[in-house]
Amino acid sequence: MKFTLNWLRDYVAASGCDAAKISDILTMLGLEVDSAEALYEHLAPLRTGRIISAEKHPDADKLQVCQVKIGDERHTIVCGAPNARAGLAVVVALPGATLPGDVKIKKAKVRGVESAGMICSERELGLSHDHSGIMELPDDLTDGQVFIDAMGLRDTMVEVELTPNRPDCASVIGIAREVAGKLGESLRLPTVAMPTNPGVNSFHVDIEAPELCPRYAARLIKNVRIGPSPWWLRRRLLAVGLRPINNVVDVTNYVMMEYGQPLHAFDFETLADRRIVVRASRDGERQFVTLDGNQRTLDAQSLLICDGEKPVALAGVMGGLNSEVTEKTAHVLLESACFAPVSIRKTARLLGLSSDASWRFERGVDIGNGVTALNRAAMLLSEVADGEAEPGWLDVYPGKKEPLCIEMSAGRTSNLIGVAFSPEEVAKLLDGIGIGCEQIDADTLRVWPPSFRVDLEREADLIEEVARLHGYDRIPARLPMVALSYPNQESDRIKRLRAAEIMVSSGWHEAINYSFTTSKFADMLSLAEGDSRRRVVRLRNPLSEDMDCLRTMLLPGLLENIRHNISYQTTSLKLFEIGKVFLPNAPDRQPDENMRLCGVLTGNRHEGAPPLHFPAQAVDMFDAGGAVEFLLKEMAILCGGAGGLRTIHPTSDGIEPFVEPESALLFFVGDTLLGKAGMIKAATLRAFAIKQAVCFFALDFNAICALSTQKPRFTPLPNYPAVTRDIAMLVKEGVAAGEMVESVRQSGEKLIESVALFDVFRGDSLPSGTKSVAISITYRSSSKTLTEKNIEKIHDKIVRLLAETYDGSLR
Amino acid sequence: MEEELQRLVATARQEAAGIDDAAQLEEFRVRYLGRKGILSGILRGLGNLPAADKPRMGALANEAKAAIEALHAEKNAGLGHDCGQIRRGPDLSLPGRCSAHGRPHPISRVMRETCEIFAAMGFDIAEGPNVELDYYNFEALNIPAHHPARDMHDTFYITDSLLLRTHTSPMQARIMEGQQPPLRVVAPGQVYRCDSDITHTPMFHQVEGFLVDEQVSFADLKGVLALFVNKMFGSGVGLRFRPSFFPFTEPSAEVDIACVICGGKGCRVCKKTGWLEILGSGMINPAVFEKVGYDPKRYSGFAFGLGIERIAMLSYGIDDIRQFYENDLRFLSQF
Repeated sequence: MKFTLNWLRDYVAASGCDAAKISDILTMLGLEVDSAEALYEHLAPLRTGRIISAEKHPDADKLQVCQVKIGDERHTIVCGAPNARAGLAVVVALPGATLPGDVKIKKAKVRGVESAGMICSERELGLSHDHSGIMELPDDLTDGQVFIDAMGLRDTMVEVELTPNRPDCASVIGIAREVAGKLGESLRLPTVAMPTNPGVNSFHVDIEAPELCPRYAARLIKNVRIGPSPWWLRRRLLAVGLRPINNVVDVTNYVMMEYGQPLHAFDFETLADRRIVVRASRDGERQFVTLDGNQRTLDAQSLLICDGEKPVALAGVMGGLNSEVTEKTAHVLLESACFAPVSIRKTARLLGLSSDASWRFERGVDIGNGVTALNRAAMLLSEVADGEAEPGWLDVYPGKKEPLCIEMSAGRTSNLIGVAFSPEEVAKLLDGIGIGCEQIDADTLRVWPPSFRVDLEREADLIEEVARLHGYDRIPARLPMVALSYPNQESDRIKRLRAAEIMVSSGWHEAINYSFTTSKFADMLSLAEGDSRRRVVRLRNPLSEDMDCLRTMLLPGLLENIRHNISYQTTSLKLFEIGKVFLPNAPDRQPDENMRLCGVLTGNRHEGAPPLHFPAQAVDMFDAGGAVEFLLKEMAILCGGAGGLRTIHPTSDGIEPFVEPESALLFFVGDTLLGKAGMIKAATLRAFAIKQAVCFFALDFNAICALSTQKPRFTPLPNYPAVTRDIAMLVKEGVAAGEMVESVRQSGEKLIESVALFDVFRGDSLPSGTKSVAISITYRSSSKTLTEKNIEKIHDKIVRLLAETYDGSLR
Repeated sequence: MEEELQRLVATARQEAAGIDDAAQLEEFRVRYLGRKGILSGILRGLGNLPAADKPRMGALANEAKAAIEALHAEKNAGLGHDCGQIRRGPDLSLPGRCSAHGRPHPISRVMRETCEIFAAMGFDIAEGPNVELDYYNFEALNIPAHHPARDMHDTFYITDSLLLRTHTSPMQARIMEGQQPPLRVVAPGQVYRCDSDITHTPMFHQVEGFLVDEQVSFADLKGVLALFVNKMFGSGVGLRFRPSFFPFTEPSAEVDIACVICGGKGCRVCKKTGWLEILGSGMINPAVFEKVGYDPKRYSGFAFGLGIERIAMLSYGIDDIRQFYENDLRFLSQF
């Protein structure tokens, strides 16, 4: 909502308040000021002048040489305007001034005659499109003045961002009412002649849809002279961003800005049967041409204004081309109506057409003010268009209701705001902005919200008015008195935060990606046709194809992050994300939102650590596997060594289609599959435009949260020394060394305290197709010092076990 | 000879006092102590002395040499240069051995800090679904279908009744439905609006908070939020509550802090107002209480919604919100 300070001051003096002060008052009343800008400042160098003489240029037919008086100065100015004549008051740009469009005025010779400046047209000043001649100023204007002061142009345009609950402030009077209430001044409304209404016979109004049109008032204005509006009217419309069209349309717009009541003017001659019918559109009426020349397609709910035969306007949205006021219009029927907000909103939405009128009707127009606005417009039309208003008007008001009455307690008001108010204080504050009330007992007020305040429906709404007018800044700040309680939170959230901390501390950066993804990701990852991750939750109105569904995996987002980083020369990355994936359920049921943890890594394992101590090494699957093991240990899901975590190297089942099969890993705790890891296939990486090796792991975080955590149990420190024996065994290349270690652990020998794999060696010294696996076994007894003899048998048994199970031989 | 040595030491002391750079010191060393230097010459010349004088003169010459070496060492230490002397032990100018570490995402960090401040005031922390029912996102919050307030939310729809939540406020209704007052809850999470430019991303983060009890007032709301702002931005940051409109609060307030960029004088970031909007808040609308079956005559409460990106941008001086979701390591490693 835009207005100017001068316009505002028509209704409230607000003396002593400059633009900054008014802006502050409005913002602190909840009418947030977006901008306040001085108008016409760029025209400040221009002066008023008077043409003393105008003689034909000796050397050009269409030019005149004018002597112009500007205060005590005389200037010779060559002018090409046909209306330049002696005695005319004009606006002059002297050398040095700059006009809109960056036109710099200089002394110049025009066909041999020295010209010291320019006499300006309205277009040259940026005031209108009129370039038919120089601007003619009022005759009584003294020359030599600053033009914008002399013409009253010095003004400030203020733009307020209105919240949807305050349609009453989509009017200069509405804003003035707020300022007056805050300053304790009175509101000065325009004087509108409201003679008794004799009624009319020259036209009829029928409302066939009273629930959609609770009130419709109209008045006929005869013999209007269509033409441009006077300067004061155009100036105000221009200042608030409305384009002047002609005097009739301009008056309807002016009154809309003034009162907030949208008006429409019909060319009366075009209305069949001199009749207005308000009704929903009918079959066969689905096409309509609005006055902007566009063909519109309606639906059955669109509310129409019709004449005796056809639609002539989209009610509350836009008039029709067929009844538009044109240069030829002689008589005008003015409409001032009130329409049901939801109906207008639906039509405006359907057509994608939001007008100043529909904006106001959608939010609620003052049903009580229609006739005043109508008569105000009639009065202005007689002033600016020589119109003759018919003595009477029609006011069809099927939606008339008892005024709402709300009981309000000063005590509850005080409690809710936290400031003590007496009923008298409450009444005074409300009365200041036109809300009438009456005290009925020591605590209670009876309040009648005025018709322009469509937002006031219950006590809480009135309490807000009191708080707002009192001033939020004057309400004290204090801490609430509440019963002590321990803050609860879901354990999954705590685990999530803990997991992020662990990942960060072990060298991973946290990423957050959008929950949206592209449905193309499934093909990029070569997911099988039946893969459940292809079933996605689709957005009905995505921002783009790249974000058309909700993700079912975190990996694609992280791969995209790798691509982005590599394109900015960051080629070594360890990124992880903990976030939701969305797995669809039946339509209209919320999808399952499951938490996942995914990590991707590429480039140098030690990036970020000093290369002197940590020479560059390419990441591999052991980084991915190690990260998972470390995470689960730190989260206390695994206790002690890696015991409990089973890492499976699948041969067929469970291999992701985007993973190199020989590098695929599955992670289990007990029978629970926690997640997968692997090297991404080159073909998949190509789909993501990545040209270097990438490993990943992906864990089901809900499954991790469901596992019980292990509380450490103290084991008494051993009293007797340990004996360590190493085994180096030659086995075939295909044997899994990890399984050998596991076999030792599972052997059931009580004296074995720990088992460690410490070397896997391949070399020319060994038969081809074999490797040497070195395992260190620590034996200890809790009751005695072990001797070689004690463990010999056991150790031999272990060696045999390994040799037999894995077809190996001691080296 | 003895006197000659004494003079030599005296002269060397004088010279050493005048030395003020490494080059001069080196010249001094070469002249007195070098292989062809004065002292070497003297020591070589001892051979020509009578045998009886040799031991005493030798000792004196060595004393003089030690004195001059001491002068050199003292000066060397004073100048702070090694001047050709070889340092023993490891080169400790090399970096320490410390493996690489990562960083939490700035949004996670600010979200966590925010929740911790409220948890310290006894607020529970709860989370809810991102795909929300129209009912909880709008209807339960006093925003019926076709209400103009829906214009304030550019909503991503999935079906007629399912959408991506546009704010964390649905958690008010969800929690109040299941629990009786007194309630003190913050609800962090992702929210979505179809909007994308330098100040908007289609997904962003909010922390919802609300407190319901008997006798809760707007003054309490101001107190709690002022405490939050003090903890998050430091005490002494100016704070302004300004009337606004949200269908689910009445009265409603927007909260501005004094611009952290210009200190309130007015700059580009605060659009010359000196203030930056950081959250929306208000007293819970009785209509919301009625929907969840609370008695609005008995209970009152306040609610607020914080934009985490906004707070992170102000805290760290980030000027483009889209950077949060590019996950560029050069960005992530700064926090």
